[in-house]
Amino acid sequence: MGKAADATAGALRTTVVGCGAAAQILYRKPLRRLERQGLLRVCALVDTSEARARALGAFFPGASIASDLEASLERTASELTLVLSPAHLHHRHSICALRRANHVLCEKPMADNADSCREMVAVAREANKLLAVGMIRRFVPAFAEFRQLLLSRRIGTVESFRYAEGRRFDWDVTTPAAFRDRSQGGTGVLFDIGPHAIDVLIWLFGVPRATAYADDGLLGVESNLRIELGFPGCSGSVQLSWDSPLQNELRVYGSGGEAVLRLDQFDRLAVDTGAGWSEIVSTHRHPADLRQPARDSIGPRLYTDAIFCQLIQVLRAIRLGEEPAVAGQAGADCVAVMEAALRLARPLEMTWLSPEHQRAQQLLHWTRRR
Amino acid sequence: MSVIGIVGAGGYVGTSLIESLVLDGVRDVRAIVRAYRSVASLARFGSAIELRIADADDAESLTSALDGVSTVVNLTTGPPASIVRSTAAIHASARAAGAERLIHLSSAVVFGAVTSASTDDDSLPDSRHWMPYARAKSAAEAFLRCHISATGPRVTVLRPGIVWGVRSPHTMQIVRMLLEKTAYLVGDGSGIFNGIYIDNLVACIRACCSPVPDGAGFFNVADDERVTWREFFSAFAARLEYDMARIPRVSRSRCPISKGLVLDWLLSLPSVNGLYHRSKRHLPDAVKVSLKRLLAGPYAYGGVASAYATNPGVDRELWHLQRVEHKLPHAKFAARFGPARRVSFEEGVRRTFEWLRFMGYARVG
Repeated sequence: MGKAADATAGALRTTVVGCGAAAQILYRKPLRRLERQGLLRVCALVDTSEARARALGAFFPGASIASDLEASLERTASELTLVLSPAHLHHRHSICALRRANHVLCEKPMADNADSCREMVAVAREANKLLAVGMIRRFVPAFAEFRQLLLSRRIGTVESFRYAEGRRFDWDVTTPAAFRDRSQGGTGVLFDIGPHAIDVLIWLFGVPRATAYADDGLLGVESNLRIELGFPGCSGSVQLSWDSPLQNELRVYGSGGEAVLRLDQFDRLAVDTGAGWSEIVSTHRHPADLRQPARDSIGPRLYTDAIFCQLIQVLRAIRLGEEPAVAGQAGADCVAVMEAALRLARPLEMTWLSPEHQRAQQLLHWTRRR
Repeated sequence: MSVIGIVGAGGYVGTSLIESLVLDGVRDVRAIVRAYRSVASLARFGSAIELRIADADDAESLTSALDGVSTVVNLTTGPPASIVRSTAAIHASARAAGAERLIHLSSAVVFGAVTSASTDDDSLPDSRHWMPYARAKSAAEAFLRCHISATGPRVTVLRPGIVWGVRSPHTMQIVRMLLEKTAYLVGDGSGIFNGIYIDNLVACIRACCSPVPDGAGFFNVADDERVTWREFFSAFAARLEYDMARIPRVSRSRCPISKGLVLDWLLSLPSVNGLYHRSKRHLPDAVKVSLKRLLAGPYAYGGVASAYATNPGVDRELWHLQRVEHKLPHAKFAARFGPARRVSFEEGVRRTFEWLRFMGYARVG
């Protein structure tokens, strides 16, 4: 993208497409904060449900309400579009915004298949606009601290890891889109929590190759899965669940010790190099303004803080030409890994079921109809 | 067509019931949940089940969701203040929709510590129980008792004890206590673990779905074995690197004071309990995060804590559960519905370990 170094330009006119849970719970407060700071102005809210758009509109009285992104962008001048719609619409909405000269911040997953991601990257390049992918974990202090810890080789050479994230799904979604069959836009747990997991691992270790994948999807999308991944120099497993309390940690084993990143805490990690576990409280901070260099910073303790930092970084990328945390290509790499994993799918071995139910689980698994 | 409508299908018991029905090839299953978020645990069944969104407190939306259903299974949970209201709404909706059967899941907790050996399926619950949940379950039973012989669906009330095993939040609580070395026994651990393995509860619910001539009434449902709390903890301890010889014992006569106990006591006050359930979704995130951190113990980065708690924080509910004196009789259920296929305690533990191993908790032992 081209360098636009004018940090003093007026508030960036911003369109939000998708006014459901992500917009209401995660983005609303940070957007209002940025409006108060004069850095951004929400000029249009787009959702197929007028009620949802109007509910969000109550917090952004100057924004127009629309049900169609294309029509909204024609009518209301906009420079940045936040794509917060259901995952299967990310590709369409991002392309639409990029082709109308908008920069785009697209929530994860970038799209539901790798071809769509590639097209998004190409269109952004053609349009000379920013395409960033929303990966909130990059702004959680403990994650950045953990990366530094591994880079410092405090546990020696990384050999293996185990990533486990799962709990009862409690996100107040406003549509059942994520739970539908994949052919109808469903994400399953793979394209829901998966992007967080894979993106963090790519950030830490590089782009992996999926070597095995198993899930529990029958006539619908999976609620539980396990992926085996091979990276240059290390390998490990990712386990994700929508219905069971997993350990919610990334555990990395190195030649000289072990390190744990707690996925449900913003600032806690620990390391054991042979003398017992030592907990580290992260003090990592992110820029909180558009000055160069930043004079204000923030150490997020809540998801809304992390979203604020993510938005600031997108604004810095647009205004100052800095790199976004996750550019389109990195988002595309993440989707490509998940897509490759799905091609290896086999039924999860659910050995806690009765023998009859284990057989039925194998027979009913979605891969039987592939 | 005999359609089973499961209200509150997205919970732990609902997910297990639907899994059992789908894997056995039963196709006329309708899952009814309050919010889209509850669909996540059912997503894998896809088109094998029919899905409806309805509020269990709202008879009108529920009646529409139950249209064409012959058997209604009420597995709803929620704040104590809503339990009687949702029970009444589900009963009214089942009746309005012309359902033949209503299976209502109550809880053995309504009998408190089961201090009398003569407590049976038809004994009256303790309506003055200290726990708001137990009082609400008692009140819901009282409501259904008044409607059991009225025209409308046949009402079957099942009273499971502690539902344990695969995916059980209760079992996870015990497992975490063992891993974190914060487990304790009340007295010598001889209190009765009035439990039922999840698959056995599912089998009981499924038995009630069949057209048995005289299936109305109140039924305790439980595992066949008589298990003490010491035996229950021991069944899990060895493979979680917990030495039962070192488990602390706490008084059986007086619940030890802890910050958790004070919180439990406060929350058991009806006014505080109501306020808590009304306001908990509106608490600022920063307050929730701080509260969680305040209540959480130290994290076992090694997977298993190294030191045994000598003065463990006692949970009031678990303390009371460990004081249960008698195993509730459950022969009435088998007499009425026939002997259900049972998973033994030993097999239940084995299956639970398989699941824990998959979850990454249990060491292979």
